[in-house]
Amino acid sequence: MINANLKASYGADERVLDNRYKQGFVYGMIVLLALFTMGANDYAILIASKMGLLLIAVVGINVLTGYTGLVSLGHGAFVAIGAYAVTIFNNVFTGTLPAGIMPFLSVPFAVALAAGIGIVVGLPSLRVKGLYLAVTTLSANFIVIFLIEQEVFAPWTGGMVGLTTNVPNILGWELDTKREMFGLIAVVGLATILMAQNLIRTRVGRAFIAIRDRDYSAEILGISLLRYKLTSFAISAAFCGLSGALFAFFYARILPEQFELNLSLELVAALIIGGMGRTMGPVFGVIIIVMVPEVIKITFGAITGDAAGMAQLRAPLQEIAFGLLLVVFLLKEPLGINQITDRLLRAANRWPFARG
Amino acid sequence: MGQIAQYAINGLMSGAIYALIAVGIVSVYKATKVVNFAHGYLIMFGAYFYYTFAVIFPGMDWAPAWLASWQPGWMTEMREGLTMFSPMGAVLDWAANLPRIVFGLAGALVCNAILGRIIERVLMRPLMGQSVFAMIMVTVGLISILSGGAQLIWTADADFVPTIAPNTPLRFEMFGTMIFLFGADLVNMVIALLMFGGIVLWVRYTKGGIAIRATAEDQSTAYSMGISVPKVFSRAWVLASTTGAIAGAILATRNGISPSLGLFGFSVLAIVLMGGLDSYVGVFIAAMSVGVLEAMTQWKMGGDWAEIVPYVTVLVVLIWRPHGLFGQKEVERI
Repeated sequence: MINANLKASYGADERVLDNRYKQGFVYGMIVLLALFTMGANDYAILIASKMGLLLIAVVGINVLTGYTGLVSLGHGAFVAIGAYAVTIFNNVFTGTLPAGIMPFLSVPFAVALAAGIGIVVGLPSLRVKGLYLAVTTLSANFIVIFLIEQEVFAPWTGGMVGLTTNVPNILGWELDTKREMFGLIAVVGLATILMAQNLIRTRVGRAFIAIRDRDYSAEILGISLLRYKLTSFAISAAFCGLSGALFAFFYARILPEQFELNLSLELVAALIIGGMGRTMGPVFGVIIIVMVPEVIKITFGAITGDAAGMAQLRAPLQEIAFGLLLVVFLLKEPLGINQITDRLLRAANRWPFARG
Repeated sequence: MGQIAQYAINGLMSGAIYALIAVGIVSVYKATKVVNFAHGYLIMFGAYFYYTFAVIFPGMDWAPAWLASWQPGWMTEMREGLTMFSPMGAVLDWAANLPRIVFGLAGALVCNAILGRIIERVLMRPLMGQSVFAMIMVTVGLISILSGGAQLIWTADADFVPTIAPNTPLRFEMFGTMIFLFGADLVNMVIALLMFGGIVLWVRYTKGGIAIRATAEDQSTAYSMGISVPKVFSRAWVLASTTGAIAGAILATRNGISPSLGLFGFSVLAIVLMGGLDSYVGVFIAAMSVGVLEAMTQWKMGGDWAEIVPYVTVLVVLIWRPHGLFGQKEVERI
């Protein structure tokens, strides 16, 4: 049973980690992640890094879709903007700025640019909502990727063939191995989750939730829709931009086609599978979205023994599994994995009395 | 000046096909209030079914020879003494393909109708009465299932299919310049327009169509008036998937067959929102204008700029008119 949870002051009630179980969980996870970074093998590090990169973006889309209730099918574009902005900034200022402080300028630049473009893309959200917004963001995604691919911008963006990215250098410490990069991703990922959790506790976060529950009522309560919808877009785009910046640091090369519709759909799917509007939702969702294709790859390899003819069946199978996951969760568990864990925790909490 | 007429006609021809695709999205929306993000992939399946019945099956060993290539005696006689590239030769080529074209179209229609029915039954009906968000996201999940499924069944290789009508080049004069067209494109446009008109009339005047409109107006009242709403739902999905099959076959003859056909659905979705989700007239006007705009962009700025025309126009139109050009403004109850 959850007990010893008495709060004697307002300060204790307003903390981000407002009970000891949450504190224990978060501190335990920090220790586990540190051990994982030091001890895991390269394959596990690679998978975990993929999860971390996706997680940061999904936390961003959770702010928009989960808390503010605005649907976006175009957030892949902001990941692209983050990745390209950080690389282009690096390429332009190499030589003029010392390498050691470059990430401290290029990442904020990328995040700010993504947030700025997020506000522009969010403008239609004041006039349209629901499905119309989904299509306008989808259109924005197509347009951004199209512009990146254009020959006109090719001197900066590299056009269709993409860009070679730089190795980040934090005050002289070059993060040139995947393991070091994972350390950075884990720290940033944990920070984004805590930031999102903190955001929802504040006035801004409560305004978001009010807008999600009923936008007209929120307006009557004195919440400026213009301000808070655009803030929500800017915050979620900023998280996606941050994810993109780390993406560019992590991989040796970025291509426009990595950020197309598939990525946007993956972000939304991870959110739905994990649970919308919940702190742990993105974590669960990302784990499923990254692990299922890997599991299919491994079992498929074991069954067919890597026969050449069978290998081309793997990608479609992974795609079908992705679609099925989304559909099955929507049909059977619309509130996501978080709902399942909630149920389990509640049952454990009340044991041996009423369950359910 | 003459160039404009040529490109405008090209634009109208692709606009007609957009309209035919859009009619599927609008019909499903009218009946079920679901916007089908996966409609493009339904069309892709139609194209692949056409390919299966018109190219793969006639090529099999067990298929009768006349199915693959129909060569009756009189046709061989007519072919004698024809010069190369003569219009008559193109017509005869088409006539030889006629059995497999008909077989392909029939197969595509039947298979896609079954597919549409299965989707409605398995995925959409359990969600009746759920939030719109859930239903839209189910169609988004359907995108991956269908595109993965097509690659699994037919592999990702591109291929070509026989054109639906004789592909004779036509030249004629209009506004003082030569216009150059392909016969098949013209026939495709006529087919698309006839089907569009037929569906609009069907929805307007027949019993089934009126049931769809009544359901669109108010679902529970339609129920209490004795309309079987689930039946209306499945009818709308079958309508969408059969028009999609024809549209898919037409697209396959124009661009060849490949998994990227599914992407057409997204530009058509933009067109549908631009015209107003529940208005056939608005969607028709939007489809035609986007078709012409695309052709003009292709002429002035090059082919790759044409592909984002629908997306840019939808953004502009939606900011200016949030419910599309002719869409009904939703009245919300607080």
